[in-house]
Amino acid sequence: MRHNFIDRYSSLDSPLHTLESRTKLLAFAILIVGVLSIPTDAEAIFFSYLFAAAVLMGISQIPLGYIMKRMVVLLPFIMLAAVAAPWKGYAGFGALAVRAVLCLILLILLTNTTRFAELLCGLRRFGFPQIVVINLGFLYRYLFVLMEEAMRMKQARDCRRVGRAPLTEELRILSSMLGTLLIRSFERAERMHSAMLSRGYSGDFPVVAPRRFSWHDIVFLAGTSAFVGATIWAR
Amino acid sequence: MWARRFGRDERGKMTEYAIRITRLNYSYPDGTRALQEIDLDVRTGERVAIVGPSGAGKSTLLLHLNGVLTGSSPIKIANLNLERSNLQQIRSKVGLLFQDPNDQLFCPTVFEDIAFGPLNLGVPAEEIPARVNKALRECGLEQSIGSRSSHHLSLGERRRVSLAAVLAMEPAILGMDEPTSNLDPRNRKRLIELVSRLEVTLIVATHDLGFVLDVCSRTVVMDRGKIWADGDAQTILSDTRLMEEHGLEVPLPLKAETRP
Repeated sequence: MRHNFIDRYSSLDSPLHTLESRTKLLAFAILIVGVLSIPTDAEAIFFSYLFAAAVLMGISQIPLGYIMKRMVVLLPFIMLAAVAAPWKGYAGFGALAVRAVLCLILLILLTNTTRFAELLCGLRRFGFPQIVVINLGFLYRYLFVLMEEAMRMKQARDCRRVGRAPLTEELRILSSMLGTLLIRSFERAERMHSAMLSRGYSGDFPVVAPRRFSWHDIVFLAGTSAFVGATIWAR
Repeated sequence: MWARRFGRDERGKMTEYAIRITRLNYSYPDGTRALQEIDLDVRTGERVAIVGPSGAGKSTLLLHLNGVLTGSSPIKIANLNLERSNLQQIRSKVGLLFQDPNDQLFCPTVFEDIAFGPLNLGVPAEEIPARVNKALRECGLEQSIGSRSSHHLSLGERRRVSLAAVLAMEPAILGMDEPTSNLDPRNRKRLIELVSRLEVTLIVATHDLGFVLDVCSRTVVMDRGKIWADGDAQTILSDTRLMEEHGLEVPLPLKAETRP
């Protein structure tokens, strides 16, 4: 079973992919702040951001269809928030929707042009607490293991179940499955800890940065900052 | 000093011990006696198999080799008494391969997993890529696998990456827990070839008696936390009564030999 829906295209080799992760984290954060600060009635600025997003998508070599598909999955949640703000009128709703789409495109681009491991490395070098970053890494690593375990349990249940049980019975089975999953995860965590200790873990989780800062990074950072600066100044 | 550092084997020759365990007892927090009066000396370079039924205490014994668990009496690893103060030093000498690679590979990428051990040992960052690639090569893996995530690998690959992660620390003693479990015949054969080439003191807990015959010269039979037999692998594995008493079976190649 393969699952790589979080960062499926992150191992491509486009100019965007080869940038250092800190550059991308910073540049995309600047862009997102830029998007959020676009005034509701500034159509030209909206279009310039859409254009910029299109350029980035082009550079990234990630298939447009994939980005669209990801967006369709995430968009309803954000639209819900937009609908919940009716006092802004049609224009407000439109602006909110476009902002949401732009932010989603940027985030999809960020997570699909940077390997998760590099993203974590970037966060760490920005001074995020080590324990948070390590746990994000474990989450990424073990999410799939956990899903597989849950799937196997579901299959085992389906194999022994004939017909449908009453709802209370179903709930009882479900809760005991969740309990089993929790205990198994707990035991796995203990074994993992033993494995970490065996390889010399003593409280510090060292990593080697996979990429180095180059002039590409400076150009990209300068470019995005200039663009965002210009859109704010043009108001 | 000599007397402490060296023992004598049956021919009176001087030998150095990689592992010396005397009268080791260990109980789990719930009171289960997992190890009882374990005596085990392993010479440097020896390849020892620990066989026995599930729940015999084999894995528990392995976890004692680098102090993840500590029992009643001190263990000597390469002439060092295993103590809290030298745990890091001992862990750099004793590599443990766990049964489930998912427990052993906890980093987002294969590269980071293999680099984890050496980095903890204080190997400088610029030497890490060379270390990682050497370990990958030793385990018959491509360098390009380094950037992949462990959850995208097959079990055979994951097992070999786990081994690479252990070998990257350049241990003198390698403990393995069921290294061939769930492997298909091709991957099992590959692993046997790979392990046979390693120049380490080997201690393997396993049910795979064919693996024992191929790799190990000495076999220890463990059951219910005790050692019941210790000696030449061929002799022990062909002892039908001993094998069946402890929930094991004489492996096929040895059965064929005893046939008239």
